[in-house]
Amino acid sequence: MERVVTVVPEAGLHARPASKVVQAVNRFDADVSIGRAEDDELVRADSMLSVSGLNVAHGESVRIVAEGPDAADALDAVCDLLTTEIDGEAE
Amino acid sequence: MRVLTGVGSTPLSGVGTARWYRPEAGLTLADRPDSSTVDGDAELARFEAARATAREAIRRAGARAADRVGEDEAAVFEAHEEFLDDPMLVEDIETAVHDGTLAEHAVHDRFAEAIAQFEVMDGRMAERADDLRDVRDRLLRALLDTGTGAVELGTLPAGTVLLAERLTPSDTAELDPDAVVGIATVAGGRTSHAAIIARSLSIPAVVGVGSDLEALPDGADVLVDGEAGTVVVDPDEERRAAASRNASPAVSERVSTVDGRAIEVAANVGSEAELDAATDRGADGIGLFRTEFLFLDREAPPSEEEQYEAVKAALSTFPSDRVVVRTLDVGGDKDVPYLDLPQESNPFLGSRGIRLSLGEHADLFETQLRALLRAGAHEHGDNLAVMFPMISRIEEVTAASAAVDSVAADLEAAGTDYAIPELGAMIETPAAAFLADSLAERLDFLSVGTNDLTQYVMAADRENDAVAAHHDPLHPAVLRAIDRTTSAVQDADAWVGMCGEMAGDPALTPLLVGLGLDELSMSAVTVPAVKQAIRSTDSAAARELAAAVVTCETRDEVTGVLDLD
Repeated sequence: MERVVTVVPEAGLHARPASKVVQAVNRFDADVSIGRAEDDELVRADSMLSVSGLNVAHGESVRIVAEGPDAADALDAVCDLLTTEIDGEAE
Repeated sequence: MRVLTGVGSTPLSGVGTARWYRPEAGLTLADRPDSSTVDGDAELARFEAARATAREAIRRAGARAADRVGEDEAAVFEAHEEFLDDPMLVEDIETAVHDGTLAEHAVHDRFAEAIAQFEVMDGRMAERADDLRDVRDRLLRALLDTGTGAVELGTLPAGTVLLAERLTPSDTAELDPDAVVGIATVAGGRTSHAAIIARSLSIPAVVGVGSDLEALPDGADVLVDGEAGTVVVDPDEERRAAASRNASPAVSERVSTVDGRAIEVAANVGSEAELDAATDRGADGIGLFRTEFLFLDREAPPSEEEQYEAVKAALSTFPSDRVVVRTLDVGGDKDVPYLDLPQESNPFLGSRGIRLSLGEHADLFETQLRALLRAGAHEHGDNLAVMFPMISRIEEVTAASAAVDSVAADLEAAGTDYAIPELGAMIETPAAAFLADSLAERLDFLSVGTNDLTQYVMAADRENDAVAAHHDPLHPAVLRAIDRTTSAVQDADAWVGMCGEMAGDPALTPLLVGLGLDELSMSAVTVPAVKQAIRSTDSAAARELAAAVVTCETRDEVTGVLDLD
């Protein structure tokens, strides 16, 4: 299954947001990959190297593909992170 | 005996045994053996062992940095651990090893690819390449068992004088001040973060010695004199004895110029350990309490209570002295991961300091102000002063003051004890220097942050060696900006201090007194020398000196008038 979302976090998919995505993916029994919506090429979402290496900025569309037993939950978790301003404490 | 000259960075002296730190040394890889001769399982085990060693070293370095430095230098080690565990890297390396590549070659190849990937990216992404290099070198050092080739910074033997081409802030943060008696570097300047950390650790340091230093062998007998800015090879008995007496003794009482003008000599504090150093060295209070350290090495901002307790502790440490607390100053090169600060192409000209406090982190600002106003009602709260960083507009002062009033009204309504402390602005931007008179009318004090002021006046990045000559606090443009600030305060009911690195250079004390500064705040280690310098300064002569310096048009004229060099 897959979904396309627009990246909301102001910092894009850099340092902190990227590591949140990686941590989320590693919590599920699923193979998750991610890339720009307009590109065919996707990279592994469980690697800090590849996720931050995408250099995706705020406002860009990304495609997330998940497979495996927990695919639906993993997809929800990643999309949640990508569409919320990541900032537990902010009002 | 041979004397090499550099720039004194920490004004202390130390004698010891030279040891080169060459992060690249010993990491030369042997030729690749035929893959059929490589025992894949054994290589896999070597790689796992190296990862374990690297992880331990990274964690140790992170803990030490958080503990000793208390600045943002600890956060970088978390990123290092994430790369150490990256499945893309780990799996590819494991595959290569399994196919008959030696672990060190597999690490080298895979990291080279990753580093190249980040190197081509713009701006701040290139920093990830540095992180990757650091992790790679840790793995290679563990794999190659380099023996004497590489030096583990955290576990240097006592009596080491560390020699290096340059040191990064994280290198410096790893050093054990009880073991390292001196630092000398080929490159680097006095205001680099690494130099500032060395000062906060009270490690004697001379930077920018140049290529002459490279001729010194490991094991040489070396004296680092951070006051004179010299590195002495095979020092004679006389110099040795002088070094062991070390820096000026602490002067605990307040000091005045020859003619009786009192000048407050305070310390900059960015961690709890530095609070102790400040009292040890006889500081007259705290002129810059960096609240950032309360926010680092954690997952969420500190609570109001934690901040209240930290400020209260500082006030209790200096019961009869002023404590100037700077509100949260992040952004620029200071990141706090959980705050998700925006990635900016030009962070020093972006959202930092008061801009964040009045913008997207207004919530943190409010919590901090509540803690500060409550601390103001504490037993020694009368001595509390609060300053706002990165002020460039009067509107920011108006908004910050309004935030203070609003927090005061809330505390009043809740029946909580509070007091409004003295409020001030940092003069770090040319805008603030131009507006100094208007700022002084509205505030109780101004404090000149010379590192950033120099960077912004001269449009020269303080960490960029290519423009190091431009980043010059003794340039007439910077001195005139300071003069404009101190002159503006003379006509207002306010005091003016300085909390940049310049304040801690005793050679400049007469100039700073002459410019009219009421307070100088610096790394604790330089407090005694500056106090001595004030005692031998005459105000009238100092004023004449400052007047002459302000008319200079070039750096050479300035150093000529100051009789430096």
